[in-house]
Amino acid sequence: MKLNRRSFLKIAGATGAAGMLARPAAASASEAGGVPGENERSMLVDTTLCAGCRACEAACSEANHNPAPPEGDAVFDAPREPSPDAFTVVNRGPNAHDGTPRFAKKQCMHCVSPACASACPIKGIEKQPEGPVTYRPERCMGCRYCMIACPFGVPKYSYNELAPRVRKCTFCFERQKEGKLPACGEVCPTGALTFGYRGELLELAKTRIYSNPGKYHPHIYGENEAGGTNWLYITDVPVEKLGLPGGIEKSSYPDLISGALSVPPFVMTLWPPLLMGLYVFANGRHKEHGEHGDDHGNGNAHGKEDRHG
Amino acid sequence: MANAAVTTASPVRAWVQEKIFLGMTVKEYVRSLATPANVVLGGLAAMGIALMVYRFAVGLGATTNLSQYSPWGIWIGFDMMTGIVLAAGGFTLATTVHLFGLHAYHPIVRPALLTAFLGYMLAVVGLIADLGRPWNMVFIFVRPGTTSALFEVACCVALYSSVLFLEFLLPTTEWLGLKRIRGVLMKIMLPLTILSVVFSTMHQSALGSLFLLAPGKLHPLWYTKFIFIFFFISAVMAGISMVLFEGSLSHKAFASRITSHFDVDRLQIGLARAGAIIFFAYFFLKLQGVVDNHAWGHILTGWGAWWAVEMLGFVLLPALLFAYGARNMNVKFVRIGSVLGVLGIALNRLNVSVIAFNWKLPSAVRYVPSLMEVGVSVGLVALGVVAFRFIVNRMPILGEHSSYRGSEY
Amino acid sequence: MTHEFLSLYAAKNAEYLLAVGYMVAFIGWWKFVNGGKRAVMEARAEAETPKAKHAAAPAKQPEAHGWFEIPTGVWLHPGHTWARAADDGSVTVGVDDFAQKLVGGVAQIALPKPGAPVAQGVPAIALAAGEKAVPMLSPVDGVVSEVNSKLAEDPTLLSEPYTQGWLFKVRPARLQANTRQLMEGETARAWLDNAAASLAARLSPELGHVLQDGGAPVSGIAQELEPERWDALARKYFLT
Repeated sequence: MKLNRRSFLKIAGATGAAGMLARPAAASASEAGGVPGENERSMLVDTTLCAGCRACEAACSEANHNPAPPEGDAVFDAPREPSPDAFTVVNRGPNAHDGTPRFAKKQCMHCVSPACASACPIKGIEKQPEGPVTYRPERCMGCRYCMIACPFGVPKYSYNELAPRVRKCTFCFERQKEGKLPACGEVCPTGALTFGYRGELLELAKTRIYSNPGKYHPHIYGENEAGGTNWLYITDVPVEKLGLPGGIEKSSYPDLISGALSVPPFVMTLWPPLLMGLYVFANGRHKEHGEHGDDHGNGNAHGKEDRHG
Repeated sequence: MANAAVTTASPVRAWVQEKIFLGMTVKEYVRSLATPANVVLGGLAAMGIALMVYRFAVGLGATTNLSQYSPWGIWIGFDMMTGIVLAAGGFTLATTVHLFGLHAYHPIVRPALLTAFLGYMLAVVGLIADLGRPWNMVFIFVRPGTTSALFEVACCVALYSSVLFLEFLLPTTEWLGLKRIRGVLMKIMLPLTILSVVFSTMHQSALGSLFLLAPGKLHPLWYTKFIFIFFFISAVMAGISMVLFEGSLSHKAFASRITSHFDVDRLQIGLARAGAIIFFAYFFLKLQGVVDNHAWGHILTGWGAWWAVEMLGFVLLPALLFAYGARNMNVKFVRIGSVLGVLGIALNRLNVSVIAFNWKLPSAVRYVPSLMEVGVSVGLVALGVVAFRFIVNRMPILGEHSSYRGSEY
Repeated sequence: MTHEFLSLYAAKNAEYLLAVGYMVAFIGWWKFVNGGKRAVMEARAEAETPKAKHAAAPAKQPEAHGWFEIPTGVWLHPGHTWARAADDGSVTVGVDDFAQKLVGGVAQIALPKPGAPVAQGVPAIALAAGEKAVPMLSPVDGVVSEVNSKLAEDPTLLSEPYTQGWLFKVRPARLQANTRQLMEGETARAWLDNAAASLAARLSPELGHVLQDGGAPVSGIAQELEPERWDALARKYFLT
């Protein structure tokens, strides 16, 4: 049954996505005026629709040549994190008002202004104009600063390899380039995952919230978190209970460092004249008093063999 | 130094015997190395090297306790960050003597620069041990990630290490009698000194800027948007403390190498006066940082107590010891203060990078260094001490070369 | 960092309080760090060792700073006379502290008569001590309007040269132009110190009775220095 349904939805999804993406490729939204990243490819996760079937995990592993995820519902007993071999996991949360459990998929949030990409000193992680945040292991030097920077704790590291790599969801960038849906979005049987442009998905999410008063929490997780992410969540239970991190800044993380980073050019410009002035001032006075070569009467006049003290 | 019969075999051999083996034959030299201190140092250094080789053989997963939650451990927090900050005495002393014109401190500039040079070399080795794919390091100049504070750190450390190397080359040329090269180096010493301050300012502060990206992970008592200023000021503090600490040890241990008598106690008291002022100002700066971050509520917590230990025991107390020692011409207080100062800055770097980092994580998954990580770190320090001793015993660092007495640099 | 707006005030107040408190504390701290035994020792060492910068100067001489006084509001002429403008437009003239100490023991002062013209830089008075008299220059142009008659009865009033020892009052003709040649304030003080230093250079330490254990000279310095030709010495300073 799954297979038929999956293949049906595959076609439906593909057509739907193709339809949504039929517009000519627009440039990324300008930050001023428009919604951040409004023309970037995004995914809306409606956790009220997620059945916890974990087909997305299976599809993701297959598409990324990762080992198949463990089977059985026992995995839901404890919250899980993505790992170097599992770019996405589904966690179970509390029961909703209707008594059914809630689930949420966890993966890279593909932020509009990603902390990891700004943190990478060697352009190993890049933000693509289309939306995905991609990693290239052949460029990486393994400093793991991206892991420090990411507020969602997304990047994982394959410490057990001799040439370790950063491991995270790629948003199926290669598939998107071919016009396909990300693997998870393609297989989701319940329609919990909706692929589209960020601006439109935000509108869609807001429409669902307003059209169903009292059903959803009036908050789109990812609208403002970290300055905006491309993976958006709407839910009717607290997001933290679904394994999604709370306490995320409402502004972009790279902004936190831009002030400090504007200092180096000033230092390079200001320090040389300042220090040379200091040098001229300090050593000019010395030449006046003839300290070079004289015996300094600084307290102990006797026994000093060195010229400079 | 034993004066053994010089072999007439070849000039190369004679040179090696004089320069490398301090005038002893190989047998005599090896015998002279048999002291208990050397057994310990040599053992630790050998262990460190062996563990490094093992780490590259089996990978990070098998040798470290790094995890997905804690990607940075003591190889970053101690070897790189603490190593770099304790090596700040180089530019601090060079500025004091060559830019402020306080030539009384000239005798202790070269040991400070040597400490800095060795400190940076070891920090880079520690970094290479920690990097997952160190062979890609060089491409940072080809694909500059200029939005990254780590890029700034990497570039400035690379450039500053070159400056330090050139500054270290000066006593080397004196030792090797390379007059022409020395002449060239003397001409560029002033620009090198200025560059050393520029690069040091940039990367010492950038090491602090690294953590600006992690407000949720670093405890609010340590996280402040001014962290990069604090890191620079504490680098100067670390430089002063380290020069005092290393100077006390070297002056006694290598007394035979000192050629011109200078009152080291007086210089240390002078440094202590500067240290007292800067430590005092830094104490209040940190308070301002806490107020600015609205974090005063955290002071009365467990983490607040730990923060108070760092502030009171390792910032305020050294300030008082420096002040008291300077006032009363009591060098002992100054030296105790310097030890506390060095430990305090190391503690601050460890707090920011591994201890107060991920403070919200449950203790079951908090990072604790593995024995092998500690082994590498300790081994690298031992290696540094051995290298320091080797160089001081041969090159004009603590004393002046007879042909170059009274040299400006 | 999202903070409640109200706590912004608390934080900003605390920051300013902390900063001000720190600045106050810093003064004390600086004094503490730089004081103590070390400072005492350094001061003593500085005093004992010969300063390298003064190595070329002549051998020890008494400190000449502050020997002679000059109050504020007084214009000083290089011939050691002074002028002070009053609110009513008249100008009071006298000799300065240096002059009266240099000459000392003045028995008689020759003053111009009221109505007589005086000119800046032209001799207008004379100080007589013993058998010699020393002329001095007027500091301003004008017509004498009043003379200090009390001086004739009691010449010792000259020991208060700026107050009771004033000599005469003048209706000034060109005060603005005159003052351009005169000194006042710090310039006058520095110039007086110079004059004192040149005096000090002449004095030798053995003249203990002139210098009361390092203090300023009292009176009659010229006569001590050159008993036979003290008037020539005085005229050198008075430019007459």
